[in-house]
Amino acid sequence: MLFRKKAWISTTSVAVVAALALAGCGGSKSTNDNTASTSANSQAATTSAGQASDKPKEAVTLTYTIWDQLQQPAMEAIAKEFTAQNPNIKVKVDVIPWGDYWTKMSAAAPAGTLPDVFWMHSGQFVKYASGNFLAPITDKVKAGEIDLNNYEANLGSIYTLGGQNYAIPKDFDTIGLAYNKDLFDKAGIPYPDGTWDYTKLAQAAKQLSQPDKGIYGFAAKMDTQTGYWNDMLANGGFIVSADGSKSGYDDPASIEALKARYQMILDKSSPTHQQMTDTDSTEMFKSGKVAMIFEGDWRTTDIDGSDIIKGKWNWAPLPKGKVKRGNIINGLGNVMSASGKHKAEAWQFLKFLGSKRAAEITAQMGAAIPAFKDTQAAWVKSKPQLNLQVFIDQAADAMPYPAGSKAYPVWFPKEGEIMAQAWGGKISIEEGAKQVAAMMNQAIANNK
Amino acid sequence: MNSRSRYVWAYIMIAPTLLGTVLFWTWPAIYSIYLSFLKSENFGMVNHWVGLANYERLFKDKEFWQDLRNTLYYAVLFVPLTLLFSTFFAVLLNAKIRGLSAYRVIFFLPQVTMPAAAAMVWVVLFARDYGLINHLLGTHVAWISDTRFAMFALVIVGVWGAIGFNMLLILAGLQGIPRALYEAAEIDGAVRFRKFRYITMPLLTPTLFFTTVVLMIGATQIFDSIYLLIGKTNVALPAVRSLVYAYYQNSFVYYDQNYGAAIVDILLVINLILTGLQFAFQKKWVFYD
Repeated sequence: MLFRKKAWISTTSVAVVAALALAGCGGSKSTNDNTASTSANSQAATTSAGQASDKPKEAVTLTYTIWDQLQQPAMEAIAKEFTAQNPNIKVKVDVIPWGDYWTKMSAAAPAGTLPDVFWMHSGQFVKYASGNFLAPITDKVKAGEIDLNNYEANLGSIYTLGGQNYAIPKDFDTIGLAYNKDLFDKAGIPYPDGTWDYTKLAQAAKQLSQPDKGIYGFAAKMDTQTGYWNDMLANGGFIVSADGSKSGYDDPASIEALKARYQMILDKSSPTHQQMTDTDSTEMFKSGKVAMIFEGDWRTTDIDGSDIIKGKWNWAPLPKGKVKRGNIINGLGNVMSASGKHKAEAWQFLKFLGSKRAAEITAQMGAAIPAFKDTQAAWVKSKPQLNLQVFIDQAADAMPYPAGSKAYPVWFPKEGEIMAQAWGGKISIEEGAKQVAAMMNQAIANNK
Repeated sequence: MNSRSRYVWAYIMIAPTLLGTVLFWTWPAIYSIYLSFLKSENFGMVNHWVGLANYERLFKDKEFWQDLRNTLYYAVLFVPLTLLFSTFFAVLLNAKIRGLSAYRVIFFLPQVTMPAAAAMVWVVLFARDYGLINHLLGTHVAWISDTRFAMFALVIVGVWGAIGFNMLLILAGLQGIPRALYEAAEIDGAVRFRKFRYITMPLLTPTLFFTTVVLMIGATQIFDSIYLLIGKTNVALPAVRSLVYAYYQNSFVYYDQNYGAAIVDILLVINLILTGLQFAFQKKWVFYD
């Protein structure tokens, strides 16, 4: 009895050890058979597309995967209208939040299970296109099925690689300065406008701050696209050199800009990094604790949804820096999987997503600034109480999001980890910037 | 029925579990060892054999050693505290009191709460400026973003989440102790503490041993609370980052599955050693009747 009981416990324990110890090892597995079978599939799909016209249409459900829940209603409205025109094709809109989106896609890509149509980000595009996971649309562009000149400047060119086109531009976004009118009125300071520069921003932030009441003039958050990248550009610095070969974080103008932003925390014009880790700075703005933040246009609906601040806030352009007005423009693209089972139908939907009609729905529902030319006015009017025009106006001078390389997905997450140490006061800003530069240059060298 | 056909039947009965285990646990584990000797490109579609290069890089990586220290530190705090509290509550709930099942349900609740939802509540509780914990203690501490306290915050959340299930295991152990032993001890004049010390404790050691082994393995795999509670822009992250967190970052954020695989393979070895040691030392303290 003694032996048997002990043996039972040992066996169970060992089994549990093995099971638990290995739980972390669910890496993505791939085989070459996969590629073979998927390309066979895609050939089959192309063939069936050719015959589609003379056969009765088969009912098909496509998956369209996006990461922004706020845009889900607009995307579903587009899908509904598409199905009304193509009754045999239904579209299921799936939302995977940004935090998990690329993790899931990177597992789906080698497994051949990418969604039929999905959102692509410029930072991730090169990896997916160079791995042949995206279906090129070059021949459709050449055949005139779609005209990339219909979209705002350069947006069509973000998603090209090796002379092939992969995406139809969906939208673009820029950064603005959101301000709380109430706090400005109480402090007797005129609202921010196009004449503001960074000196004025820092002065106003100081005047607006009442740290003892937990109210701050500006959220000098540790962030890239909606944070210090704009400062660095405005001050004459850069993020990555134009040829993509070198980091700009150790450029003196970049470091100066980073220091100026951090100074606002030291001046108590901004919450500390720890406070902004506890509570997201945009949430602070939404609850009236912060008078000004840099934020992307895509947060408009979210911010305006706060009862505390609704009707008491507005947008202004970013302040001018020593050299220019900095801003980052980014554009999402709709792409289709190279291994989808219904590529002909997926193309029909992709084409519809790139149509003027889809852009109009996007604009009217205030989901995003559509990329299709001359449809932005409807977006600006979608919230007439807010000065949304600043996002369109700033697009002209804005720098494209500095992705578009194999190195970007490697250095970008590490950038945040290093800068968090600087923003949290563990290392100096200059030290942090130099570490980021060294890390980025290494990543660029490793991922040529 | 002869013994041969009995074995066949036995194997048929365990086949579903065995297949599942092999397919979803054993095979991926072996595959992860294989992966750690490769350099993969293009999401693993192109692979080059690099031998021990990933391990060489690992042993030279200061971050890895820091992560290993963090992981072990967490385990050293988490395992004894969980055992202590689970045993304490199990003993209390083994008594005959009114509303016993209600208490058992309450203590078991953290176990059935979604970790993500629980973490969100803890984030609010731990908040420096508006958090309830600082309010109650009269302190002004950034629990989850101060390097000195973040580990304790994780341990608190970890222990809170683990008490329910382990209490249940220990409770089952307690109820397996025959009443007759206590009755005999009472006739001999034993008081409460002595009964606990000389009957309950020894007879509970097999359960405690099993619980410790499982807790230890669970502790070295801490990931979700770091991911949810601390977050990647937190200045305290390097002070709490665990091996599994590093594995996740490398495999799914930096897309370096091979380096990630090397990290978990080291963790596997560590766990095998730790568990082996515990089995070796069980003679010293575990009592089997």
